Amino acid sequence: MSRNAEAALLAGAAVLAALGISIVRVAGGESPDAQTALTFLVVALAFGSLHLAFRQWAANASPYLLPLTALLTAVGLVEIFRLDPSAAGLQRWWLLIAAGLGVATLAVLGSSGTDLLVRYRYLFLTAAVVSFMLPLLPSAWALGGVEVNGSRLWLQLRLFDTTLVRFQPGEIGKLFLVIFLASYLASRHAALTSMTRKLGKLSMPEPRQLFPLAIAWAVSLVILVYQRDLGASLLLLAVFAAMLYAATGRAIYPLAGGGLFLAGAVVAGTAFDHVQRRYDAWLRPWDDFADTGYQIGQSLFALGSGSLTGSGLGLGRPDFIPSATTDFLFAAVAEETGLAGSLAVVAAYALLVAVGFGIALRARDPYRKLLAAGLTAAIAIQTILIIGGVIRLLPLTGITLPFMSYGGSALVANMVAVVVLARISHEVAS
Amino acid sequence: MSALVASLLKVAFIGLLYLFLWQMARSIGSHLGADTPSMRRNRRRVGELVMVRSDTRAGETISVTDAVVLGRSPEADVLLDDPYASMFHLRLTMDGDTMSLADLGTTNGTYVNGRRVTNPVVLNAGDSVQVGKTIMEVK
Repeated sequence: MSRNAEAALLAGAAVLAALGISIVRVAGGESPDAQTALTFLVVALAFGSLHLAFRQWAANASPYLLPLTALLTAVGLVEIFRLDPSAAGLQRWWLLIAAGLGVATLAVLGSSGTDLLVRYRYLFLTAAVVSFMLPLLPSAWALGGVEVNGSRLWLQLRLFDTTLVRFQPGEIGKLFLVIFLASYLASRHAALTSMTRKLGKLSMPEPRQLFPLAIAWAVSLVILVYQRDLGASLLLLAVFAAMLYAATGRAIYPLAGGGLFLAGAVVAGTAFDHVQRRYDAWLRPWDDFADTGYQIGQSLFALGSGSLTGSGLGLGRPDFIPSATTDFLFAAVAEETGLAGSLAVVAAYALLVAVGFGIALRARDPYRKLLAAGLTAAIAIQTILIIGGVIRLLPLTGITLPFMSYGGSALVANMVAVVVLARISHEVAS
Repeated sequence: MSALVASLLKVAFIGLLYLFLWQMARSIGSHLGADTPSMRRNRRRVGELVMVRSDTRAGETISVTDAVVLGRSPEADVLLDDPYASMFHLRLTMDGDTMSLADLGTTNGTYVNGRRVTNPVVLNAGDSVQVGKTIMEVK
């Protein structure tokens, strides 16, 4: 597929967004208005500028990443607009910011490429830790943390008693951590693979090789548990184990990660009330439908009433689901486009992840392999965790659906991740 | 809005989604199959160029597996008998089914289809490669 075909598909995604918005308007008994044109223009402008930046700084990059991202973003924008037009207006701004930062990332990586990130790896580790800590700043400060729904993840900028902007620095922090881990693991590759110690039947590397990693893991986990966001801590642990596995091919890392996680989940369930409530809502949603089970219950009703082809955009009642634009966007999409539409969304994620791992497979040096695998694993694991939560396969974790959920920080972080992936594929191909 | 229009719009939206995915999946499928490392080993191809115009070697075929360096130096894999060629002039690389060409920073340059190349380029069948007065064609 050529760059021109990529451009055509990006235009297709913008048309899809415009069509979706128009359908929502028509379903509401109104006619398509400026919102339709505005959404078309914003999607076209955001992905058009990324496309031009690809031509400029990553001409040999995989042409599949952007169209899939654009498709998911377009469907997300439509469903957000259907649920809350003002949120869609904000999300459009975030999309432009995310695209701008993506272009800027490509420009910065333009001359020296992703090797630049290796040089500043400890800066990235510091930035990651600081990002996770920022929400712990006192709420009274102009730039302070905020606690929302029992998790302290937000940073807000307040001036003269008005909240100017809210941001989840942890989303960017995850990205920084993956960048750090990729260069760190690549340089420790040999030592981590040589299994000199035996623990029963399992081979272990020298414990001191794992020490810095254990610190990085413990710090992020402690911060996240302190902020009481189980989803993000689970995501970090999973990405971590996935990258160690990719670096070494040793099954002990994912096994140990899974064990650590199960232990953490049990401890969290007994220690934190809000985690315990989530387990209850997951296992027995109908016992307390009016309270803890309400959200997941409404989500299941939405999935069920969506049936095969859905109610049609704007014709269902996904607004019954609390926080449908963020955590439960997938349920809203499934209600209004049915099994057909939601499977298309899952397929788009699957293709995106396949392309990402394809880039990792083709990379020749361990650093680029790990960076591509880590970024892809992060997107994949987020998607699995939140879609699993929405369909009650897994306990609900407050993770956003990449590119689709309403939320600026996640959109920015994921967009930059895709841009870095693209840059790696460019370097691998040239 | 009538029920018929609603159904039509619904089907149109989902249909467009799948059309988009179909376009993507089709080309990703062939792309992924082409050059993942394990498959690359099984499906390694030999690329070939024919000397179309050359003082001494016209009509000869150059086979490319892995990587081949062409140049005026006797140490080059393939000797380019041309006064305008550099000692090590260009490198041809096979990666799965794709042959690519990289100019090794030469004085007189390498021309693919009449255009001077600065960055590595992918060669397709029928492309002409010119070094000085020598012209080769990709088979």
